[in-house]
Amino acid sequence: MRKKQFAVAVFLLLSFGVSTAAFAHGVRIAYQTKTAVEISAAYDTGEPMAGAQVTVYAPGNPAAPWLTGVCDKHGRFTFVPDLSQPGTWDVRVRHAGHGGIIHVPVGEALAAAGGTPYSPLQLVLMAACVIWGLVGTALFFARRKG
Amino acid sequence: MHIPDGILPASVCLGGYATAGAAAWYSLRKIGQKENPREGIPKASLLTAAFFVASWIHIPVPPTSVHLVLSGLLGAVLGYYAFPAVLIGLFFQAVMFQHGGLTTLGVNATVMGVPALLCYHLFRLRRLFGSDSRLGTGICGFLAGAAGIGLSALAAMVILVTTIPAHLDAAAERASIYALTLAHVPLMVVEGVFTALVAVFLLRVKPVLIEGECREAPARRVRGTE
Repeated sequence: MRKKQFAVAVFLLLSFGVSTAAFAHGVRIAYQTKTAVEISAAYDTGEPMAGAQVTVYAPGNPAAPWLTGVCDKHGRFTFVPDLSQPGTWDVRVRHAGHGGIIHVPVGEALAAAGGTPYSPLQLVLMAACVIWGLVGTALFFARRKG
Repeated sequence: MHIPDGILPASVCLGGYATAGAAAWYSLRKIGQKENPREGIPKASLLTAAFFVASWIHIPVPPTSVHLVLSGLLGAVLGYYAFPAVLIGLFFQAVMFQHGGLTTLGVNATVMGVPALLCYHLFRLRRLFGSDSRLGTGICGFLAGAAGIGLSALAAMVILVTTIPAHLDAAAERASIYALTLAHVPLMVVEGVFTALVAVFLLRVKPVLIEGECREAPARRVRGTE
């Protein structure tokens, strides 16, 4: 009986001892503001590229990926480029064989470019020109035949 | 199905150009053997325009969306003109809308143009039903339209799965490629029905447009064996 009580007392002591030891470790949280780059990838239908695989290449090393990751369900991916490597960072997004590459200048002016630089109106006009060229070809050869 | 720039390794792009070049040369030679090679140009030119805009027509198939291709229709109606038509259509899509790409033009033309040529031969099987049978034309039109998409999707899948870069999560990318390929099954039905409707319509309104290919076929074959 006495042995049992002793065992319980030792157990309690030990467990308190362990838990106080765990509480004794304070947590130190520091913060630092950084410039992050958010990529948002969507198909030209406007549908986000959810789950697309992202590969980030640092400037000067296009062979080895600097970071790989996956887009969230809104087609977004955020990463913090290493500011000690200024230049053009290449970000490649790929999903089921679809994808593209975007060039992000880091260090100098932070501006992104990529995708189709045309407005819908321009696209329609361009398509109309091509179609007219093809219809014109058809009319020309149809006339020759007659 | 339009593989953009930067996805495939350079060797595959070069191989694509080689096969597309060979197919274009073969098609042009076959066209040149016709009595009047210019005869088919108006038809081919109009269908190139249709092919060019068809990729804007998107059909949502959850979780993704696919677009019309019309390669089966081009093959069925144009015969050997289909390959140059696909090549020109893809070129304009790549240059104007960045849909596909210039480095992958050869691969894309092979993936979509070669099935179109196969569809032409599939569509010619309607002779078995008699060349003015609407039922036969409809069935063969459906098969040609569906096979065009199916073969293209399979070819694109094989090319993509075998060239996944090492740094990607291969399993995830492979799964998404398989999902996209499966999404083309409903599109096969859509294109099959569309091709059958167009073929039956042409048979009723202007049968010369599709019969021409039927009538010339035996003559060409004889010339080829000589």
